[in-house]
Amino acid sequence: MRPLTVRRLLWICGGLAAVLLACVVLALKLGAVPISVTDLVWNLGRVAIGRSDQLPTEYRLIVFDLRLPRILLGILVGAALSVSGASFQALLRNPLADPFVLGVSSGAALGSILALIFAPQLPFVTPLGAFLGAMATIAAVYFLGRRGGELDSTTLLLGGVISASFLSAIIMFLMTTLAGRDLRGMVFWLMGDLSTPVPPGLRWIFTMGLLVGIGAIYSTSADLNLLLTGEREAIHLGVDATRVKLVVYVSASLLTALAVSASGAIGYVGLLVPHAMRLLFGSDYRVLIPASALGGAIAIVLADTLARTVVAPTELPVGAMTAMAGAPVFIYLLRRGMR
Amino acid sequence: MADSITDTRTDFWRRGIASISAGIVMVCVLISGGFVPARASEAQGEPLSTRSDTRAFTDETGRRVNVPPQVNRIVSLAPNLTEIVFALKQENHLAGDTDFCDYPPEAAQKPHVGGPVNPNLEEIVKLHPDLILATSINRRETVDALVRLGLPVYVTDPHSLDEMIASVERIGSVLGAEKSAAALAENLRARLADLDRRLAGAAPRRALFVVWTDPLSSIGRGTFVADALRHAGARSVVETDTEWPRISLEEIIHLQPEFLVFVSEHAGDTPGEIEALSSRPGWRDLDAIHQGKIVFVSEAIIRPVPRIVDVIEQLARGLHPEAFAALNAPSAYTQPAIKEACACAR
Amino acid sequence: MSASDTSTHALGGRETSPRGARAERLNVEQASYAYSPGADAAPTFTLTATSFQAHERELVAILGPNASGKSTLLRLISGTIAPLSGRVELDGEETSRLDVRTRAQRIAVVHQESPMVYPALAGDFVLQGRYPYGRALRFANKEDIGIAHNALAQVGADHLAGRTIGELSGGEKQRVILARALAQQPRLILLDEPTLHLDIGAQVELLERLRQLAQENRYAVVVVTHELALAAEFADQVVLLQHGRCLRVGTPAAVYQRDLLEQVFEAPLDVEVGPAGRPRVNVRARRGEDAT
Repeated sequence: MRPLTVRRLLWICGGLAAVLLACVVLALKLGAVPISVTDLVWNLGRVAIGRSDQLPTEYRLIVFDLRLPRILLGILVGAALSVSGASFQALLRNPLADPFVLGVSSGAALGSILALIFAPQLPFVTPLGAFLGAMATIAAVYFLGRRGGELDSTTLLLGGVISASFLSAIIMFLMTTLAGRDLRGMVFWLMGDLSTPVPPGLRWIFTMGLLVGIGAIYSTSADLNLLLTGEREAIHLGVDATRVKLVVYVSASLLTALAVSASGAIGYVGLLVPHAMRLLFGSDYRVLIPASALGGAIAIVLADTLARTVVAPTELPVGAMTAMAGAPVFIYLLRRGMR
Repeated sequence: MADSITDTRTDFWRRGIASISAGIVMVCVLISGGFVPARASEAQGEPLSTRSDTRAFTDETGRRVNVPPQVNRIVSLAPNLTEIVFALKQENHLAGDTDFCDYPPEAAQKPHVGGPVNPNLEEIVKLHPDLILATSINRRETVDALVRLGLPVYVTDPHSLDEMIASVERIGSVLGAEKSAAALAENLRARLADLDRRLAGAAPRRALFVVWTDPLSSIGRGTFVADALRHAGARSVVETDTEWPRISLEEIIHLQPEFLVFVSEHAGDTPGEIEALSSRPGWRDLDAIHQGKIVFVSEAIIRPVPRIVDVIEQLARGLHPEAFAALNAPSAYTQPAIKEACACAR
Repeated sequence: MSASDTSTHALGGRETSPRGARAERLNVEQASYAYSPGADAAPTFTLTATSFQAHERELVAILGPNASGKSTLLRLISGTIAPLSGRVELDGEETSRLDVRTRAQRIAVVHQESPMVYPALAGDFVLQGRYPYGRALRFANKEDIGIAHNALAQVGADHLAGRTIGELSGGEKQRVILARALAQQPRLILLDEPTLHLDIGAQVELLERLRQLAQENRYAVVVVTHELALAAEFADQVVLLQHGRCLRVGTPAAVYQRDLLEQVFEAPLDVEVGPAGRPRVNVRARRGEDAT
C-alpha cells in the first residue's frame, strides 16, 4: 500500500515547480537577443526593488514586454489545457480524451470567424468571439450529452464529436465562400499561437477564470479517482456523481474556452501531459491535477521557446511544435511505462 | 505494516500546509501576472509619442501614427512594401524585411524578421526601427502588439491600382521621399492612361486568370489582379466575391474563355506544363488551348507594387497585339529620367 | 397473480427468522418499482410489492433467473432508486433519503467486476472504502490505513496490498473488492452476483467468508445470485423472484420446493434434504437427451 501523503504531493509539485522555473529562465534567456543569466538576475533584481527605470529600453521591451508576458501566457495556457485534458479523461472515462474532444476548439474558431465577419471593429474581437463560441458549443454539447436528466459519458462523447465535425464543416464553408483578410490570420491562430498577448483589460479576468477553474477541478480530485473506477461504484462509495460531473464539465470547458480564446487550439498538450504525469507519478488525481498543471506549463514554455528559436527569425506556430515534439515523447514514455 | 505509519501529522496540519502552499503558488502567479500588464501599459506611447517633434499621419486604416522627422530605420512587414521602399530609393534606410521579400534581389540581403503573418517581434525590436510598414496581409494582432510596444506602425490597404499609386505617394511623404514618389506616381499614371487610350476601341477579352491548376483557382472581382486585368483590356470570366475561388473545370468549359492567363514563377517550366495540360481531359476541350491563346505574366501581377504596371503592359500586348502593331517602340511617356527611377522595379 | 397475492407469500416468510433475537437491520416493506421509457409510456419492467427483513449476522440470498427483478431490488435496497410505493429502511431510516455520503458509510455494494481504466495498487483500492469518512482531498490518515489493512487481513489478502489490481486472479480480485466494502465499515453489505466469474472453490470460500464476517462484524449481508446450490447451503433466508414478482420468502428449506423451482428456473431439477436439514438441488437431464 502506498497511500498519497501530503509530503509526497509537495515533493512532486516542488520538483516540477523547480523544473518550470529553470524553463522560464531558459525561455527568458533565449531569443533574437541572447541574454546572460547573471544579467537577467541582476535586472530582475532591479525590477523587484522598483528601479525598473534603470533598465535599458531595448532590454525592457524584449525581456519584460515581449518574453515575460508570453511565458506567463504559456504557463497559464499550458496548465489550463493539461488540467482540462486530465479532467475530460476522467469525466469521459476515456484515456484518449483531450480538451478539444467535445468540439470546444471548433466552436471557438467559428465564434471568432463570425465575430470578424459581423463586428470586425470591436476591440478584442478574436478572443471574445472565440470565448463566446466555445461557451455556446459547451452549452449545446451539454444538452446533447444528457440522458435521463444526467450527463452520460458515452452520449456526451458522441455529442461532442458530432458537434466538432459539424462546426468544422461550417468553418470550411465560411472560409471558402467568404472573402476577408482577417481569415488569413485565423488559419495561423487555429494552429495555436502565443505571440499575441491577452489584451491588458482582460488579463485579470483571464487569470482569475483559469485559477478558479483549476481550483474547482482540484477540489473534486478525490471524487475523480473514484469516478474512474466506475460511476455506479463511485456513487456507492459516497461520491455525489451528478454534482461532480457538472463541476468538472463546466470547469474543464471553461479552462479550454479561455485557453483557446487566448492562444488558439494548441494540440497534444492536453492529451500528452496528463499521460506523461500518470506514467511518472501514478494515476491519483490528487497528484495528477497539480502535476499536469505544472507539466503543461513546462511543456508549453519549452515548446514555445523552441518555436521561437528553431528556425529564427521565423516563428513556428507553437501548436506545430507541441505536435512534433509531443508524439515521440509520448511513445517513449509509453514504452518505458510498459517495461 | 511499517509503511502504514507514513505520516504522523494530524489532519489539521496536513490540510493547513496544503492550503498555504496552494495559496503561495496562487499569489505568486497573480503577482507576476499582475505586474507585467502594468509594465506593458507604461511602455505604451514610449519612446516616440513623448517627443514633440514628430509628424502625425493618418494611415490607410484610419489610425493615427506619429513618425519622427527623419525616418532612418524602416522595417517592412510585406514584400510589396519592401519593393515600394526600393522603388522610392529609400533602401539605405531599410533596416529589415521579411523572409518573403525577394525583389529586388538586394532585399533578400536585408536582416529578416520572419514571415509577414508571424514575424518575430523580438527581431523587430532588436532592429530599433523608427517606422514599421505593414499592410493587409499582416495580422491585426501583430500591428496591435507593435503599437503596444510604442513603435510607430503605418498600415497600407490598397484595393485597386489607383489606390496603390496613391499609397506609394503617401509612403513617399511618410518616408520624406515626396519627390521620387511623385515622379514615380506620375509615370505610372501616364502609362496606365496610355494603355487606356490604346485599348479604348477594343472589346475586352474574356480571360481566365489561372492562379493554380491543381486545384484550379482563379481570382475574385474585388482583387488587385481583376483591376490589373481591366487595365490590360481583359475581363475575368470568373466573378466571385471570394478572393481566390476554386473553380470547377466544367464551369470553365461552359464559359469558354478567349484567353488563358498563367502566372509564371520561373520562366522555364511553363511551356512543358501547358503541353501536359493540353493533353488532360477537360483542358483539351478549351478553345483557348487549341488556338494557343495563352499569355504568361510575371508573378508580380499579384503584388500591389509599381512593377505591376510593367506586367499590365506586357499582358495588354499579349491580349491585344493589334493595338500595339503600329508602335513597337516603348511608350512615348516613358521618359529616360523616370525610367531610371523604376530601374529597381525591373 | 395479483400484487396482494404475491405479498401473502412474502409475508408468509416473516416468522422464519432462524436464530431468534437479533436486531433487525433492513426492512423492505411492500417496495415496488417500475421502469418506463418516458413519463407517459407504459412501464417496460415492473417489480411488484416485495417485503422481507434482514437482521444483523444474517445472510439473505435474492434468488431468481435472469430478468426476474433481482438487480432492481438490489438498487432499491442500496437506495440509488426510491421505491414507487412502500419503503426500504435500514435501521429505521429510508435508504433512498440518506445523503450519498451517509449511505456509503452504512451500505457497501460489491459489484460483479470493477472496470479499471488505469492501474491501481490493491491496497490503495481498498483505501477507497474510507472515502465516505474523509474530507476534501481525503488524504489517508493512520486510522484509515489501519482499517484498510485490517479489511485486507479479514479476507485473507494482506499479502496482495502491493500488487496492482490487473495482475490478480479472479478470486483474489473479488477478495480485494470485498475488502474495500469492509473498509467502509458498513451495517449492510450488498453483493451483486459475486460468484459469477469464480471457480467453485473460490465461490465456496467467498460465501463461507461472508457468513463468518457477518457473524464477527454484525453485518446484514444480502447476496443477489442465481446459484441455487450455493444459496441453499449458505443463506439464512431466501427471497425468490420471477418476472418482477416476489414468489416466496423464507428459509431455504421452506422455499426450495421442487415444483416451484422447476417452474421458476424452467429446468428439470431434483431437490432433496441434506444431513444438516438444508436442501440440495441437482440438475436432471431432460428425458429426450437421456436416450443418447
